[in-house]
Amino acid sequence: MESSVATDPRQTDGGGCPVMHHDFSKQANLGGYWALANELREACPHFYNKYTADNGYWVFTRYDTVQDIYKTPEVFSSESITPWEPNPIYRFVPTQIDAPDHIKYRRILNPWFSPTAMESAAPTIREICRSYIEPLVSRGHCEFVNDFALLYPTAAFLNVIGVPTHFTQLFAGWVEDFFRGFGGDPAGLEKMSTALSEMRVFWTEQLDDRRKNPGKDGDLFCYLMKADFDGHPIDNDVMLDMCTVLTLAGVDTTRGELSYMFHHLALHPEDRHRLINEPELTPLAVEEVLRYYTIIFGDGRKVTRDIEFHGVQLRKGDMVYGLVSGANRDPRHWEQADEFVIDRKRNNHFGFASGPHRCLGMHLARREMTIATEEWLKLIPDFGLATDTQLLERGGGSMMALDTLPLRWEVGS
Amino acid sequence: MKLRIDEQCTGHGRCYSLAPQLLSPDDEGYVTIRGGEIEVPEDLRELADEVAGTCPEGAITLVDD
Repeated sequence: MESSVATDPRQTDGGGCPVMHHDFSKQANLGGYWALANELREACPHFYNKYTADNGYWVFTRYDTVQDIYKTPEVFSSESITPWEPNPIYRFVPTQIDAPDHIKYRRILNPWFSPTAMESAAPTIREICRSYIEPLVSRGHCEFVNDFALLYPTAAFLNVIGVPTHFTQLFAGWVEDFFRGFGGDPAGLEKMSTALSEMRVFWTEQLDDRRKNPGKDGDLFCYLMKADFDGHPIDNDVMLDMCTVLTLAGVDTTRGELSYMFHHLALHPEDRHRLINEPELTPLAVEEVLRYYTIIFGDGRKVTRDIEFHGVQLRKGDMVYGLVSGANRDPRHWEQADEFVIDRKRNNHFGFASGPHRCLGMHLARREMTIATEEWLKLIPDFGLATDTQLLERGGGSMMALDTLPLRWEVGS
Repeated sequence: MKLRIDEQCTGHGRCYSLAPQLLSPDDEGYVTIRGGEIEVPEDLRELADEVAGTCPEGAITLVDD
């Protein structure tokens, strides 16, 4: 993550901004990307990140600017959310759809992932969660990411959309492969492309199955096939795009957050004990994890027209990157910005983004994280790190996640 | 004191999670009083202030009577 600030920032095409050369796809030591975000935010409110001789994008590093990007979707389009790839090979629906169609898709999907729907799903999610923790208890150790964090959210998500949970391993593999390419590492593009194709075949088969067996009901596929979009059924290709993004977003993100949350709990027995004694604080602790340990390094948007934005002359087609990790710890906005405050209440973080594209699955993600914490602390109340070696995190371009998290505990404790 | 929620609400649910005694979700996850306001009882003013500070959209304002 070497960087250099150009002596003459005007070597870029846009006025007075420092130029840097960061590759956000690289693996880092645990916490490396939040440290980098802090450094960038305090160095300047915005800069131009030039990643090849001809390509670059604007990075806005502070809470107020990130908020303004989110609040102005008519200027900052979601057509691409990866600033290093303005024209990606995938199309996420509704993630990459702008007004006026975006809200129509969201209003179809919102009820499926609403707080009320997640309340109904909670008992099954809790059973799934316990089924992954129980076999670990007597072992006294685990590799948290691969033994739990990859599998439990995948199984919980598949259950919520109505896919049998024996497909969990298959999906966990696809999602891993996709994110090898998503963050801007060219070496990962082939696996990403293969994973996308294989998932599409799976969804096509599921949709065909529902067409042949119209009696089946009650899952997301049946729901989408009956949904009304402007007086018509949803286009088949769009349904496939929807299923793909729901899976990618619904599985990988929670794995990432869980890995950081449990790393924190492993290192902070006082917080573990507080949550055991005051379980009603768990939802607040989850929100603080989403702020302090946000897995979103930044969020990209494409500029729709020439505009001056916080002193920067943006041109139509430019890409911008709102540095969510910078915003979520910006001392201009937060009290105790760089501290984990387990019962923080005024917590308007951007861990689920903001604006019309706020995370559709947020109510599921929170529910999964809360249940995981409750059930884990019931069955394994005391645990610690099982390694002295440096833990590593995936590059911020793909959203951060711990590669591994070895934990251990006393059996019978 | 009134608590007002404007149309910018996108349904994060932070407000009704923090203050279920004041607010509740609709079937899509938006707060039911989106685009409207409620009267805040005297003893819940501090809670209402926390609620206003927890919305990532900045969609909540408190208005003194």
